[in-house]
Amino acid sequence: MSKKRKSIAATIAASSLLMVGVYSIPAASAADVLTITIGASVPLTGSLAKEGLLTKEGYQFCQEKVNALSTSTINGKKKQIEIVYQDDTSKPDIAAQNLSKFNDKGIKLILSSYGSANVNAQAAVVEINKQTMVDSGGADDAIFNKGYTRTFNVMSPASEYASSMVKAIAELAKPKPVSIAFLSADDGFSKTVTAGGIKTAKSLGFTVIGPEYFPNATSDVSAALNKIKASKPDVILGSVHFVEGVALIKQSKELGIVPKSFAETVAPPILDFATTLGALAENVLGSSQWTSTAKGQDRYFGNAKNYAAEFKAKFGHEATYHNAEASAACLAMVYSIEKAKSIDADKVRSALSTLDMLSFYGKIKFDSTGQNTYKPMSVIQIQKGKIVTVWPRRDAEAKMLWPYVK
Amino acid sequence: MDTFLQVTAYGLLQGGLLALVAVGFSLVWGIMNIVNLSHGAFVILGAYIAWEMQSWIGLDPFLGMFVSAAVLFFVGYFFQRFLINLIVNGPVFITLLLTFGINMILIQGMNLLFTADFRSIQTSYGSNSFEFGNVRIPLVRLLAFLLAIVITFALVAFVKRTRTGISIMATGMDRGAARLMGIQARHVYALTFGISAALAGMAGTMIATIETFDPSKAGKFTLMAFVVAVLGGLGNMYGALVGGLMIGLVESWAGQYLSGTWVNAIAFLVLIIVLIFRPNGLVGKAFYAARVEF
Amino acid sequence: MSISTQMKTRRSLIPIALTLVAVVLALVLKSHLPGGELRAVATIFMFIALSQAWNIIGGFTGYASFGQVVFFGMGGYFTAVVMLKWNFSFWLALVLSGCFAALFAILIGQPLLKLKGHYFAIATLGVAEGMREVVINLPDLTGGGAGISVPIAGKFAKTQYLGDGGFYLLFLALAIFALGIGTLVSRNKFGYGLRAIHQNEDAAAAVGINTVRSKVMAYALSAFITGIVGASYVFQQITIFPERLFDVEITVLMIMMVVIGGSGTVLGPLVGALGLQFVSEYLRQHFTNAHTFILGGIIIVAVILIPQGAVNYLREGRRTKDYSLLTNIRKYRL
Repeated sequence: MSKKRKSIAATIAASSLLMVGVYSIPAASAADVLTITIGASVPLTGSLAKEGLLTKEGYQFCQEKVNALSTSTINGKKKQIEIVYQDDTSKPDIAAQNLSKFNDKGIKLILSSYGSANVNAQAAVVEINKQTMVDSGGADDAIFNKGYTRTFNVMSPASEYASSMVKAIAELAKPKPVSIAFLSADDGFSKTVTAGGIKTAKSLGFTVIGPEYFPNATSDVSAALNKIKASKPDVILGSVHFVEGVALIKQSKELGIVPKSFAETVAPPILDFATTLGALAENVLGSSQWTSTAKGQDRYFGNAKNYAAEFKAKFGHEATYHNAEASAACLAMVYSIEKAKSIDADKVRSALSTLDMLSFYGKIKFDSTGQNTYKPMSVIQIQKGKIVTVWPRRDAEAKMLWPYVK
Repeated sequence: MDTFLQVTAYGLLQGGLLALVAVGFSLVWGIMNIVNLSHGAFVILGAYIAWEMQSWIGLDPFLGMFVSAAVLFFVGYFFQRFLINLIVNGPVFITLLLTFGINMILIQGMNLLFTADFRSIQTSYGSNSFEFGNVRIPLVRLLAFLLAIVITFALVAFVKRTRTGISIMATGMDRGAARLMGIQARHVYALTFGISAALAGMAGTMIATIETFDPSKAGKFTLMAFVVAVLGGLGNMYGALVGGLMIGLVESWAGQYLSGTWVNAIAFLVLIIVLIFRPNGLVGKAFYAARVEF
Repeated sequence: MSISTQMKTRRSLIPIALTLVAVVLALVLKSHLPGGELRAVATIFMFIALSQAWNIIGGFTGYASFGQVVFFGMGGYFTAVVMLKWNFSFWLALVLSGCFAALFAILIGQPLLKLKGHYFAIATLGVAEGMREVVINLPDLTGGGAGISVPIAGKFAKTQYLGDGGFYLLFLALAIFALGIGTLVSRNKFGYGLRAIHQNEDAAAAVGINTVRSKVMAYALSAFITGIVGASYVFQQITIFPERLFDVEITVLMIMMVVIGGSGTVLGPLVGALGLQFVSEYLRQHFTNAHTFILGGIIIVAVILIPQGAVNYLREGRRTKDYSLLTNIRKYRL
């Protein structure tokens, strides 16, 4: 054997050994404490890094509160949770692969990634590996119409995002506007959002303009705006993410399009929205999975007000709904573990399927597909730079200001 | 008709912004035959510097862009002098790999330093626009457009009229001969890269004032610069401007007159058709296209 | 038997023997690895096949296809659509998607391969970006931005899901297939013709090589391999989205692997794919926050030390009996 061949053989052998060494067995825990390891693969780099970090913060906060306040025991042992993190670089294939790697280490309980594509890929793998996952970041209804039985989503489904704002406008806007123009990004989630919104708008008697689509994550939505300009819509409703959401407001101003109100999904509750747009953000409506006025409380976080205050003290910024979703998913997992008195993935799964609880996040209960259809979305409005809940009425902090331009 | 004029005006303005992003990229590519995959990261870095300038000392972005340009000039000079120059004689592809590595470090570095928060520079005049008949022209976009034109003409004057500029062009045409004439190729290369990075910094400042930015946008700007530079053609300082305006117009018209989201598909179709009929780009020179590549 | 023929026989036996050793190692590894690791290693195999495919058009022929991912995406979507809508078995779909990708390559290759260098690169990139939008804009056929899922179990699935072990074997087979094609191309007349085109296309035409046909065939061959890899990826992932299937980063990775290992060689892309994929996976697992930072640094250092790629560096070293990295840097710096 020549030198070269030897070195190649050695390289192959060495790399195979290393591959085996990549995974390690979780550390054994002390005799009287049961450490429950939960796996979370979140996007920490790539296009979803921002939301991924918010999700991770939510999980971290949950771990801290549960470990500090937990009194219940499992098999006579005090329970502690330990969430281990992996970066999925905002790519669905890696998000799925990370879950399989968790599975190798015997980690069967999973908290989801962020983004519908990532969670969709994860849900498939969870099913195959017989893991159990609580979803805090993928709301597309398409994930839940495939017959999966091991993924549970604490969020209101995607079809509610735009629909809730349409309902709020119909209920609160005086004088009631006539027409709503729907503008939408072209990814699956946004399209589901738009379809849901249009359905509600038609049933409530609004004139629907559009929908007009633009590429996902674009910073130029002028074409879509130009197309609806002539029909002078009363409300422009954007099914967008942050970047398109900001562009929509800015470019409307640039192009001289002045509706009575803007309403947007996802973007307005993100804190950067108001700081980025300044005065232009005033009175923009948004839909939110959670606000600090949500009703209900639980034994770890207290009510929404407590959650918001303690979260801010720990992380130095206001809790966003992305944080709250993540904490709520973790909370649902913990409650179900306590209810099942077990960390077995199947038992936790059945506990989740019958879970019915109130929390700082509102009601958490899953329908037969695994979606939390029991919790309404909140509608918020940016008022004087602050995010204020205006709908549903029982949670409202302030009156909806209407119309947009005084 | 009004709609057509509006769409056309907007497309031209958007094209100016694209040209601004691409002009430095095109320069480095034309002179040194380096495809700089970290160009987008330079753009974002420039945006952050201008953003910091505004939030620290309240510097207006149209002044802050000079700070961005100055900082990025040194960053670019340093990268070329001490990293890229080391492999200039390697296979051409290798510069791709090196700049990709630089790109990864810059993006993750900004991610850790500034967090992935979305940002933008706010000005009191940021969303002002004025009207010509029924056509609205947004102020900041117009200024960015004018900046692209000024920079292009300044660059042409620079490479034609100044000693340094001429030595840059000479090195780009024939490095061996240029060195025999006493030109220090190492320094000239670093200088060229520095200028390119500085222009990226200015472009980044404009981006930050018009849109929002975060580190993950870098790839998009590199891709845009790539397309615009090739469409315009290499070896001509007007290339980026011509390419940028063309893409801007095509995207704007496609967005307006076609349903769905065919914008990019149409833009690329135009690009391919242009290349088939004009293999050196719209105004490029054959010499630069025929160089032995890859 | 003369010494030279003996040498020749020995030379052609080396890769076969090596491949056998590698296959046995891979099979032994399979029984020792748990599912998630199998998936990770299958990804390495996938990139071995992809980088080999890119090497045929980019490394041998010298045409840098910056839009190679288009064949990955089209092969993948072809499989997804025929499996979901027309209930094809995966194996039939696999072969057909390779042919579909190759056909597409022949179609676009005719005009595009007339372009040179960067212009070819950008035109192919344009095709890839454009095709992604086409897929997004045909939701009835492709599911559009909402993605599409292939049937994997139950009465709707002709082919049952292969499982982590099955996909490990499938991607292993694809890697060996691609390596085999690469070796064949590298050693026969067709491959020499491609290399001649790379060196000097006019001269190649002058000595009687049909350059247009050779280039288009090389492009189609690399598209075929890329297409079947895409098809397998889709079946493994179950639900797919246009953003990922036409992700320019996949092309960039293919190029990186070829260049880091040694462009225009068969061993180079193999080494590059193994090395880069393994290192990036390892870093991601162990440095959750800083992995891309470290990987970027490693790439920069590797590139500066051995700009010609690992395999070419070793070959040059053997010829000149000088493995010094310092000499190597001197050779390529300005």
